[in-house]
Amino acid sequence: MLRTLLACLTLLWLPLGAVAQDLQAFLQSHRSDIADPSRRTIGMVIDDLVALDPPGTAAFLQAWQAKDIWVRADDGLFFRATRKSGNLLALHDIATGDRVADTVPGDALTQVKPNGGVRRLIGEALVRFQLSDPDIALRRDAVNAIANGLDRSQIVPLAASIEGETDPDLKARKEQLLTFLEARFASDPADRISAIEGMAGALSIEVRAILNQILAKDFEVAPTLPEGANIATILTPGNGLDRDTAYAALVTAGLARERIGADILRARLEAHIEGGAVGGVPVARLDTQPARERAYAALVAEGKAAPLVTVAAVDAALETHVFYEVYTEPDSTITDAARAALDQIETRVAFSQVADLTLDGISLASIYFLAAIGLAITFGVMGVINMAHGEFIMMGAYTGYVVQLFIPDYTISLIVALPLAFAVTFGAGVVMERLVIRWLYHRPLETLLATFGISIMLQQLAKNIFGTQARPLTSPGWLDGAWVVNDVVQISHIRIAIFLLALMFLTLLLVILKRTRLGLEVRAVTQNPRMAASMGINPDRINMLTFGLGSGIAGIAGVAIGLYAKVTSEMGADYIVQSFMTVVVGGVGNVWGTLAGATLIGFLQKGIEWFNPSNTLAAQTYMVLFVILFIQFRPKGIVALKGRAAGD
Amino acid sequence: MRRSFIARHPSVLWFILCLALFTLLVTVLSEAAGVGGLSTSFVKTLGKTLCLCLVAIAMDVVWGYCGILSLGHFAFFGIGGYAIGMWLMHARTGALVAESLSGNVIPPTETEIGTAIANQIFGVVGASEFPAIWAFSHSLALQLLMVVLVPGLLALVFGWLAFRSRVTGVYLSILTQAMTLALSLYLFQNDSGLRGNNGLSGLQNIPGYEDTPQATISLAFFWASAAALAAGYILLAWVVSGKMGSVIRGIRDDEARVRFLGYHVESYKLFVFTLTAVIAGIAGALYYPQAGIINPTEIAPIASIYLAVWVAIGGRGRLYGAVIGAAFVSLVASWFTGGGAPPVDLGFYTIQWTDWWLILLGLSFVAVTLFFPKGIGGLFDLLGGVRVPWRVGDYGPGKGAWRQEEGRE
Repeated sequence: MLRTLLACLTLLWLPLGAVAQDLQAFLQSHRSDIADPSRRTIGMVIDDLVALDPPGTAAFLQAWQAKDIWVRADDGLFFRATRKSGNLLALHDIATGDRVADTVPGDALTQVKPNGGVRRLIGEALVRFQLSDPDIALRRDAVNAIANGLDRSQIVPLAASIEGETDPDLKARKEQLLTFLEARFASDPADRISAIEGMAGALSIEVRAILNQILAKDFEVAPTLPEGANIATILTPGNGLDRDTAYAALVTAGLARERIGADILRARLEAHIEGGAVGGVPVARLDTQPARERAYAALVAEGKAAPLVTVAAVDAALETHVFYEVYTEPDSTITDAARAALDQIETRVAFSQVADLTLDGISLASIYFLAAIGLAITFGVMGVINMAHGEFIMMGAYTGYVVQLFIPDYTISLIVALPLAFAVTFGAGVVMERLVIRWLYHRPLETLLATFGISIMLQQLAKNIFGTQARPLTSPGWLDGAWVVNDVVQISHIRIAIFLLALMFLTLLLVILKRTRLGLEVRAVTQNPRMAASMGINPDRINMLTFGLGSGIAGIAGVAIGLYAKVTSEMGADYIVQSFMTVVVGGVGNVWGTLAGATLIGFLQKGIEWFNPSNTLAAQTYMVLFVILFIQFRPKGIVALKGRAAGD
Repeated sequence: MRRSFIARHPSVLWFILCLALFTLLVTVLSEAAGVGGLSTSFVKTLGKTLCLCLVAIAMDVVWGYCGILSLGHFAFFGIGGYAIGMWLMHARTGALVAESLSGNVIPPTETEIGTAIANQIFGVVGASEFPAIWAFSHSLALQLLMVVLVPGLLALVFGWLAFRSRVTGVYLSILTQAMTLALSLYLFQNDSGLRGNNGLSGLQNIPGYEDTPQATISLAFFWASAAALAAGYILLAWVVSGKMGSVIRGIRDDEARVRFLGYHVESYKLFVFTLTAVIAGIAGALYYPQAGIINPTEIAPIASIYLAVWVAIGGRGRLYGAVIGAAFVSLVASWFTGGGAPPVDLGFYTIQWTDWWLILLGLSFVAVTLFFPKGIGGLFDLLGGVRVPWRVGDYGPGKGAWRQEEGRE
């Protein structure tokens, strides 16, 4: 029964076979390679197939990769098959995809199961077909696949696919990749050089990686410099090359004898202990290096061990060999071009990094400005350092968090949170001034300690209410993302927003202080409280309002900081010391002074971090040391009050 | 005729007597020498408390007598601890390494022992060589010298820079806090050579006394701490008495006037600052072998602020006040945070003291600053019938000047 069915199928197959002759014929000629593929042989088969490209190749490769290709046991023909119910298969023609048979029992065919390595090779071959696929998602995948593993063979298909590419972004990307491929693999050196020169305009890490791959070097050592090698640099031991490393390289290259270190020496001595002594030296006496060397020398004299490599021998060996780095790329014109391109790029990267660093510095400075300006105003007016200032920052951030619990829309909640945070911390500041600080005028040190008491209270209270884990303060969608200038220079929108916020408050404070009655009175009290009082200003009221204002700005700063950092009960403590530094460096009671202080501290911190990026702790240490030294030269800060206002 | 020092300052005698009685009581009750009523760990706690009292009286001299609110004295305390810890750790690890190397067929050389010790100590921070600052750690005598020299020199240089440029008041406090912060941040780094945030550990094992039970060691350290406290108390009481004491108090109340009277204010301040830093270092060197571990967290600025809090609660400007403040607050703190205090059930909310202790401390601290500037020590004035003199305003324009309520007739 089965046989007749199969015979019918074969009959059916015949006319179709003529159409699919090419693909099926090709497969038949490589049947054993395909049915039982190994990674070593299959590559060539796939390459041949792709080069021949009979109709239906792409579909076949896809099916092969998906393990949908079956071989019929009788005649060895290949089919695409889909599994029907149970063990029954539906067979399709390999080239056209037409249905050949509907229900064929599975044991009449064998599935072709390529392993992972082979499937990867198939995938690579498929990429070339997908580069021109009508589906843009597939094309993108194919382009990404090329970018992930550049290979010589991709040049031709990629170049061929650029012409018909409709999507302009993808087209640009394809052209870029083609440049990379040509720079690395083009057979004509002139093409490579022109491709490399074309890359010099870009900044991206990808471009730099390609150039670095072209410039890959090997460290080698030889008695004389080899002829014709593309030498990158010649190294001299002791000058740019560690002598120990150099000698170790000689040993590895088999050009010198291994030095016998203390460990090996001990092991060899141990191996030659005879009757409680080595080379005539009793074991108990071998607790110094000279004694051990004497014992070893005795062993050498007896011919039981190889002599030590003397310092002179090491020197001579280092002297008589050359150490050099050689490019893996043999053509020096290409490495020169790549070197020039990389140098050019690196110069531009350096400029971009300076620009990026400046942006970072500005953004950090605006954060410090926001955090410190409230402290500076209260310190200026009242001569009081508010240790709880950091906790007002935290209070503002938690206000933002609570608002978000009630208002799910992030934009609206942010608009509500900013004034609310100001109101809450303004109130808290006024209450604190009325209850505590008012009673401690002229007692700045005790105020410092009392506000510290309040600070630990508020911190613990926040911990009791909100728990110890960090709470999120989510920024609205339009603040996500970053402003990208190029691959090096970029800055997140949140930081830009904080910068604008700081700018806004700078303007606002300047207007309040210079253009309003309140500002006039604040400045008067800052300069001389007694004289201000005798002019009819109520210093009590001014103190209260200034303290409230300073605390309120801390609340706003809290919301701003909370947007990019986590909200915890300890977040205030992280900023309080920086705020102190800003105030101390900037000078007391002056908006411009605080601005200068914040800028200096912000840029300094970023600058030190740039020199030593892995170690932010060291950066902070150096910054604090700098501030301590700075105070030596300008004890009153950058912008100092003069005359009697200065106090003493 | 001049009366003797003790006769002029009877509080010193009383203090020494109380301390002696207390030491005797603890000895009698200890496990090592007495009936065993006090556990070894509690004897250690008491010994540590005495060290804290010693650094508190140093702080009191600097702040309560000289008016410099230093937020750096706990850093000196920590440096003392690190200095002694380096020797303890080196010697202890040396003994362990010698034991493990004694199995070798060939006896180890000194270099090998040194490398093995360095590997053992610095393995946690990925280093295997002794950093330069450990150069003296093999010798107890040199390292004891470091306990005194390093805090002293640091205080001398820092104080000279600060006082020379006339940094006073809140600025000076912030500056000392910055110094403390810089030091703790430096120590937090793994390549600082002091094992980063791992700190030094195993300090309770005293080399050479491995077989002595901890009970005996803890009692010995308790005695040493008591002796150091007594000696420090007498020294500082002597420093702040007499003519020099008057100058120091004068600086606190009105620095400018003392300067115009012809005294070299900076030298006095520098002397007080450096001497108290050295005493803080010694206190730290006694404290950390009892604590067993030291890490950079101990040096963080907040510790120095707590030190000021103790002095303020005990009553600044009187040495026994600082002792009372430090002992009271640190013992009460360990009672509250150790879960010793029973929770208070308010019906709708149960107050767990581990959560609310800091709030209580903060509140009582604000209350003391506002309403009882004399602190707990002021109670003795009530007993002794000391009355507050009638005067208008504070004792002087200085930032740390005594308040009107703090005076005595």
